[in-house]
Amino acid sequence: MFQSRLLTPLRALERTHVLSLRSTPAAHRLPSTSLLPRPVSAPTLSSPTLSKLLPISQARHASHAAQGAANRHSRDPAGKRLGAKRSGGEYVVPGCIIYKQRGTKWFPGENCDIGRNHTIYATEAGYVRYYLDPERHPGRKYIGVCFEKEGKLPTPRNAPSRRKLNRVSVARVSETPEKPQSDLMVSTGPEGTIVADVEAVNAESGPQLRPGYMFREANWQIGRAAEKAGITAKPYDRRNRWMAWRKRQAKAERAAQMKSLKGKKGSKKGKGGR
Amino acid sequence: MAHCERVSKPLLQCLRSTPTRGLPGLQSARAFHSTSVAREDAQVETKSQPFHKSPDPELVSSPRLERRLMRQGLAPVGSRRRRAALQNSPNVPFEQLPYQCFQEARNILQADRIEKLKDIERIRERIARYETLSPEQAGGKQVQNSKLGAWKEHLEKLKIQADINDPIVKKKFEDGQGDMSKPIYRFLADRKWREYRRKILVQRITQMKVIPDVLPHCDPVVDAKLYFGRGLIQPGDFVDSKASTTPPKLDVQMFEGGNKLVTIVVVDPDVPNMEKDGFDYRTHYLAVNVPLSATSTKVDLSKLSTESQVVLPWEPPVAQKGSPYHRLSLFILEQNNSQPLDFAAIKAKETERHNMSLRPLQTRYHLKPIGAHLFRNQWDDNTLEVMKQIGYPEADIELRRKRVEPLPYKRRNPSTMR
Repeated sequence: MFQSRLLTPLRALERTHVLSLRSTPAAHRLPSTSLLPRPVSAPTLSSPTLSKLLPISQARHASHAAQGAANRHSRDPAGKRLGAKRSGGEYVVPGCIIYKQRGTKWFPGENCDIGRNHTIYATEAGYVRYYLDPERHPGRKYIGVCFEKEGKLPTPRNAPSRRKLNRVSVARVSETPEKPQSDLMVSTGPEGTIVADVEAVNAESGPQLRPGYMFREANWQIGRAAEKAGITAKPYDRRNRWMAWRKRQAKAERAAQMKSLKGKKGSKKGKGGR
Repeated sequence: MAHCERVSKPLLQCLRSTPTRGLPGLQSARAFHSTSVAREDAQVETKSQPFHKSPDPELVSSPRLERRLMRQGLAPVGSRRRRAALQNSPNVPFEQLPYQCFQEARNILQADRIEKLKDIERIRERIARYETLSPEQAGGKQVQNSKLGAWKEHLEKLKIQADINDPIVKKKFEDGQGDMSKPIYRFLADRKWREYRRKILVQRITQMKVIPDVLPHCDPVVDAKLYFGRGLIQPGDFVDSKASTTPPKLDVQMFEGGNKLVTIVVVDPDVPNMEKDGFDYRTHYLAVNVPLSATSTKVDLSKLSTESQVVLPWEPPVAQKGSPYHRLSLFILEQNNSQPLDFAAIKAKETERHNMSLRPLQTRYHLKPIGAHLFRNQWDDNTLEVMKQIGYPEADIELRRKRVEPLPYKRRNPSTMR
């Protein structure tokens, strides 16, 4: 395609040419018309004249056609597999995805919830229902899960909500304060790295031979050394501004010290380098 | 109280309690005081103690001193901001304030009040005249009733409008010294309650589904506060099971005049039932014929009489380990026409705590819910102790989540996929 900037002088040229044609009826005999390949018979038509003026510029080369094809794929992406995954009346269990969508085309109704990408999933086992609930919201469509196969949704607004316990009763185990824990052991030998654990019973009783011929306590016991020794850290109190000030001061001091050390090094370097 | 008395009261108050901390302002205030200088100075000298030793409830503004006052049993007056402002103010009564525009505005308000009082008198006379007429003379029983109702409503409105622009009324209400037997203070208290606390209550009872689960509908019109021991429980709070072994105390503020007889019920709709894989109701408390009025607000559930009021005494709520939290919903239900219910008959009939829902009770005795509250209960460290104390039958049982059988794996048919 020609730029308009390039076209304007050509158009101007053409205009002068047509004017001269009108002013002089016997224009074709004039020598000034020799610019054209052949004399013009119809002076009012301008576009054929232009097309004849630009015979070569209209050609389409292969490179241009190829560009269009390259962009087409980005405009037509792959499908995102949205839509209903379970239809109305189908049996679902908790966590079962019912509908995938962009935005909230459907809202979670009874016994359903909505994920962070607006996916609707079941929170109870039951049968899927797609329904409207004008009392709750006049313009929203809901997806719910009904406990009974023939049940209907929505339930009336003033009816007690139907829920399921979904729990079983077992004998209560009283929590023991501290259980012996097992300890992980890693040993690297000729047959590769072996990860094993010291049994819970053995791990409790004092230092043992650990990998690397070390007699020491289990890792979890070392972690609890402070607790055994009765060392307690002062609990953090955000209103204790005196403690906060002291900590801040100590931090600032340390930072200043580090900076001064760093500064010495840097200055030496700087002197040497620059 | 006569109007002149009301007007002179702040003046007297001002004379009685001179601000000790408002020393710079006191100089300017002197010009307006009617008492002698000598008396003023003598008063100041007797209060030689520093302010932090004996803080004044009218002027204290630091939290520490407020707490000290509370421990002494004195409540600080009004808002903290107001008390802080008063420390530096001369505390001149409204009548003597030297602002001309303010005084003019007060005059206009006074004139308006006098006009309203005249209106009240007129309406009262009209009502009295109309009530003496026979229904035939008034044009039918229905017409008479509707006219009387409309006039009485208008009268109540006028009573409120007469006082609502009074700065002293506003001050008294904000200081918490309003007299709830007067319609204007009830109106102001109601408005304040509806601005925030009622909204919170309604939100909690609807979002936690108490409203469709326990009762189909409730429009709270009384402000109910719930205390366990001395702690105020916000609607929907979790209450420690040890704290809830003793029956709660209620502070029920009515916003209408007159006396009412109410029924107070505490229902738990979340008692797990393994057999039906659902939940049962349990009534933790039921008392009838509890008198309420705008001025007598305190109801201690443990101190109601067992002979004439308490049908089912308090049962401490406990939640088994692993069970979803229990919603303990308290409802205040107005009895029909505030007539007393037959206590003996109810006591004989309503003996079963378990699975007694509030809906049939409401229809049987024509009760109307006027107030609600809600607290929650769950398994905590003290629950086992409380269970043993009350002899809970299933104390050694724990609830675990039921395993959900996954859906059978469905093999996809690749030929139909494209």
